[in-house]
Amino acid sequence: MSSGYKPDILWSPHHADRYVICDTELSLYRIGPAGSPETKAGTLPLSEETAATLLAINSDTPYMKCVAWYPKHEPECLLAVGQANGRVVLTSLGQSHNSKCKELVGKEFVPKHARQCNTLAWNPVDSNWLAAGLDKHRADFSVLIWDISSKFSPESVPAEKARLSGDVDSGLLVTKPLYELGQNDACLSLCWLPRDHQKLLLAGMHRNLAIFDLRNTSQKTFVNTKAIQGVTVDPHFPDRVASFFEGQVAIWDLRKFEKPVFTLTEQPKPLTKVAWCPTRMGLLATLTRDSNIIRLYDMQHTPMPFGDEVEPTIIERSVQPCSESIISSFAWHPSAQNRMVVVSPNRVMNDFTVFERISLAWSSTTSLMWACGRHLYECTEDGGQGAAAADKDIATKMRERAQSHYGHDTVQVWRNHVLAGGDDPQLRSLWYTLHFMKQYTENLEQKQQSNKQSLIYSGIKNIVKSSSGTTETRRCWSGSDRQTDVPRYHSEERSLALQLCGWISRGPDIDVEPFLKSLEQEGEWERAAAVALFNLDIRRAIQILNKGASAEKGDLNLNVVAMALSGYTDEKNSLWREMCSSLRLQLKKAHLCIMFAFLTSEPGAFDAVLYESRVAVRDRVAFACMFLNDTQLPRYIDKLTYEMKEAGNLEGILLTGLTKDGVDLMESYVDRTGDVQTASFCMLKGSPGEVLKDPRVQCWIENYRNLLDAWRFWHKRAEFDIHRSKLDPSSKPLPQVFVSCNFCGKSISYSCSAIPHQGRGFSQYGVSGSPTKSKVTSCPGCRKPLPRCALCLMNMGTPVSSCPGTGKADEKADLTRDKKLAQFNNWFTWCHNCRHGGHAGHMLSWFRDHSECPVSACTCKCMQLDTTGNLVPSDSA
Amino acid sequence: MDLHILDHRLRVTSISKSGLEQYTHPLIKLIFLRNRTRSEGLLTQTQHYLIRCKFFSLTETPENYTVVLDEEGFKELQPSEHLQVEGSTWLPLNVVSNGNASSSSQAVGVTKIAKSVIAPLAEQHVSVFMLSTYQTDFILVREKDLAVVVETLAEEFNVFREEGGESVPVHSQDACNGLQRNGREVPHATVHPVLIPENHFCVMSLDPDTLPAIATTLIDVLFYSNRSKEDASVDQDMECIVFFSFSLIDGYISLVMDTEAQRQFPTDLLFTSSSGELWRMVRIGGQPLGFDECGIVAQISQPLADSDISAYYISTFSFDHALVPEEDLASVTEMLQTQRMSS
Repeated sequence: MSSGYKPDILWSPHHADRYVICDTELSLYRIGPAGSPETKAGTLPLSEETAATLLAINSDTPYMKCVAWYPKHEPECLLAVGQANGRVVLTSLGQSHNSKCKELVGKEFVPKHARQCNTLAWNPVDSNWLAAGLDKHRADFSVLIWDISSKFSPESVPAEKARLSGDVDSGLLVTKPLYELGQNDACLSLCWLPRDHQKLLLAGMHRNLAIFDLRNTSQKTFVNTKAIQGVTVDPHFPDRVASFFEGQVAIWDLRKFEKPVFTLTEQPKPLTKVAWCPTRMGLLATLTRDSNIIRLYDMQHTPMPFGDEVEPTIIERSVQPCSESIISSFAWHPSAQNRMVVVSPNRVMNDFTVFERISLAWSSTTSLMWACGRHLYECTEDGGQGAAAADKDIATKMRERAQSHYGHDTVQVWRNHVLAGGDDPQLRSLWYTLHFMKQYTENLEQKQQSNKQSLIYSGIKNIVKSSSGTTETRRCWSGSDRQTDVPRYHSEERSLALQLCGWISRGPDIDVEPFLKSLEQEGEWERAAAVALFNLDIRRAIQILNKGASAEKGDLNLNVVAMALSGYTDEKNSLWREMCSSLRLQLKKAHLCIMFAFLTSEPGAFDAVLYESRVAVRDRVAFACMFLNDTQLPRYIDKLTYEMKEAGNLEGILLTGLTKDGVDLMESYVDRTGDVQTASFCMLKGSPGEVLKDPRVQCWIENYRNLLDAWRFWHKRAEFDIHRSKLDPSSKPLPQVFVSCNFCGKSISYSCSAIPHQGRGFSQYGVSGSPTKSKVTSCPGCRKPLPRCALCLMNMGTPVSSCPGTGKADEKADLTRDKKLAQFNNWFTWCHNCRHGGHAGHMLSWFRDHSECPVSACTCKCMQLDTTGNLVPSDSA
Repeated sequence: MDLHILDHRLRVTSISKSGLEQYTHPLIKLIFLRNRTRSEGLLTQTQHYLIRCKFFSLTETPENYTVVLDEEGFKELQPSEHLQVEGSTWLPLNVVSNGNASSSSQAVGVTKIAKSVIAPLAEQHVSVFMLSTYQTDFILVREKDLAVVVETLAEEFNVFREEGGESVPVHSQDACNGLQRNGREVPHATVHPVLIPENHFCVMSLDPDTLPAIATTLIDVLFYSNRSKEDASVDQDMECIVFFSFSLIDGYISLVMDTEAQRQFPTDLLFTSSSGELWRMVRIGGQPLGFDECGIVAQISQPLADSDISAYYISTFSFDHALVPEEDLASVTEMLQTQRMSS
């Protein structure tokens, strides 16, 4: 309650559109929408949407110190006013036609000794009871509980004794309170406890909070504290009380009343009002003197006091309902969520809603969810057919690719780009590069030349660097005896690079014909023509273009290009040269453009070809390997590598290979796209293990695995792990679970029985089994039967799987024999809590219909203990 | 029951009647320019002209003006020939019933604490200075006597010392330097003569917010009443006595005045009991009493307690004053008579 004459504000407990402002008088307002037809000239705007209309003013009660609104529906607008002299007056605003109201209005409750009334509180249940907290008097009580229905007792105020009191004659005075509490102390604030309406919490001057029970007033619980102003009970949690003193708020739990549960950070200025939000759990608003902000404390997740001394989590924030003015008081709206009206010292009012904090969560499948107040919003990606593949989020793409087994084709490696959707040129280039690398390695293996195997994976950049013994040839245009003035370079490394580019298949002789054929088949006419031209076969190029023009959906313009091409002359100043070098820029097809650029450029100056970014890197690199000399070539490759790394362009993997450079490139690719899936699969192919040890690579792999887990793609995760362990044996997890025999204590898995007298070697169960002909349902060590399945009552035991290999060489082979593993249905399963179990298949089917353990008399809810047990994988096996 | 040693260090002074003019300014400052907040101690005070004095009491008697105030307020009083200062620092004690006190006894004020505080302190020869207000009773003791006081009262009370807004429990061991008598002579209790003037007194309070409303009246009554000049000498057969007390302690105002003075104030502002009770005064002492004699309060409060008569008790620089309900005056007179006879 405010002191002095600063206005305070009170909401009607039952009418969501009425409130009272009290300063020197009481004014009743009705709040309504602004600009509605019923708003008249006299309304005060409260916000953009709302305005207040003054309904009534009551100035009958001077020296108001505190006001409390009658809590029941009827009479509607009855107010108790505590005055400076300690009298409590019942008054009303607006309608007074109600008879009960008439009877009560004007009634005064007079304490024996006059002193200020600090606080008033109606009993929430027995609404005839009104508690008044008064200042200290040496011989009187500070808390008086009045019964407003009590009959007048004029005889208790003898006339001759009433010389000093004013209006005894009115006959509306009540002087005998129902209860008197708290002698020799002042009461600064009080409240009824909602749990038990006979109990009253009051705060006294002598720095204590006390709980009185009216049924036995001599008994009380009390605690010494400084925080004795403004006690207020949390409406959502009747054991939680806030009280304050100066700038400090203490939060109490009445069940553990010895000390505050916690105190809020102290404010530099004294607090004037502290109020729990009635519409939102655990939200406390505080106001300090001469301030224009209201501080909010969100105690949503504050732990209960019984537990350990955990530091509570309180979210503190502040709101500024009106920027220009300081706030005198505020009041929460009783029903509209988070809404309050604030009033400034000069009675300017403001309707204000505290915006709820938004908490936001992404699902693992690109939908977004956020909560604000009591609303929950979901936002999902537009999955309609209209959405172009390129516009899809990378997470959606990765999910789709994981479902199509992307990355798992280890035989025809290039096919992985088809699995990825086949629409990404970078992925296409990447997988072809990896494919050619693998192909070359296999060829080498056949030829038993393994010295170059590591080189092939280190990319063209390194291959070219190691180049030596380059020879230079000048060849004739094929089908013509004209000598070209273009030198062509040959070396073993250059032809290796051409192989990686996919221009030639194998061997030292450069025969691009198969490549041209395949391009023709795919309808890449321009590219095929360019490749033919670069191999100095104009006739073949023209032939390809003609073919392209006559093909189905062929571009007739190709014939025109072919005509232009056929006019080629090497004369420097010919009209053909001049026109071609300028008009080629207007050609839309990059490959056609570079063909003329090649024909019209000076020897050794092929920048127009080399830096034509629309042409695939592999074609440009192949071109460079053919026509750049030993000084130009590494410089060009270095430059291109740098560009690719900067851009995170996967075509650059051709240059960097799976080296540290390649990881750098992949890093910028992942930074750009977030595609950890491609990064993981690509780096797993790197045969030198160094790249796999790179922490970045490990990070991508772990993130991809987590992603699969988050999507509940557990089977995919398992497949990935298997794939990974094949390529990177060091990633194979160590066995974590063993089954030991109840009788001999030895592991029931194969390895210990195979070497019976070598202690207790354990190996992963299920992967291995007994090789001997003994029954699988008995321990291989002591031959005693294994435990029985709780459901089928058969002895457990997994049928023999493959014998564990002894050498590393067998390890890969071991994994490929998946089919020999025991069926999952026969695996051992048991509850870690009750230790009952049986065959995995039986257990699964049991818990589909039951929650309790199948063993009779065991009440363990085994499946519910497993947090992931009830989750269903979203990829079927 | 709790006994609180309050966080004030007080000086007891007196201003002579003739020197009042010189002190009008500081006194008006002390009365009116106080900080407006009720709760003590922890304010953020920005207005420097405000006096930080939190304990102030001014009592006019025919002899002089007694001013009891804390050290902050004492700074305002310039030393002069008209200002007499008692040498010691005094600490106020306050008994808090804790709400457990039985409400059977109607007797209030000094009577209530006569047996539990006043009498034991008198036995230990601790000199006390009493100051009753509308709100409570303060028992002032010298700071140097505190150890003995705590030792004496620890049996009956939980003793707390208030420091910076916190109540800190005090244990007698902390304060005790060996329990010994106060080391003073134990003179046989002298029975002082008493004077019972004819005025009727009332004890009142006031909402501090409305203090400005009565400011002119208050200034008039305190500083410009010429009543004292009319009969400056006090003699046995005078009928009325000049007595007016104003105190402002921790934001609470208390006024003691006779019905004559009360008429000058607006009726609706002053608080008093709804029964409108009136009090008669018993002034103790024929000679100025001084500050060292013990047992003065005890010798009057004890019999009042025995007969369950409530009382206010206001010590001043020269004499002590007890206020008793007018209807009990007869029995009090009789009681005092018996006491004189027996001694």
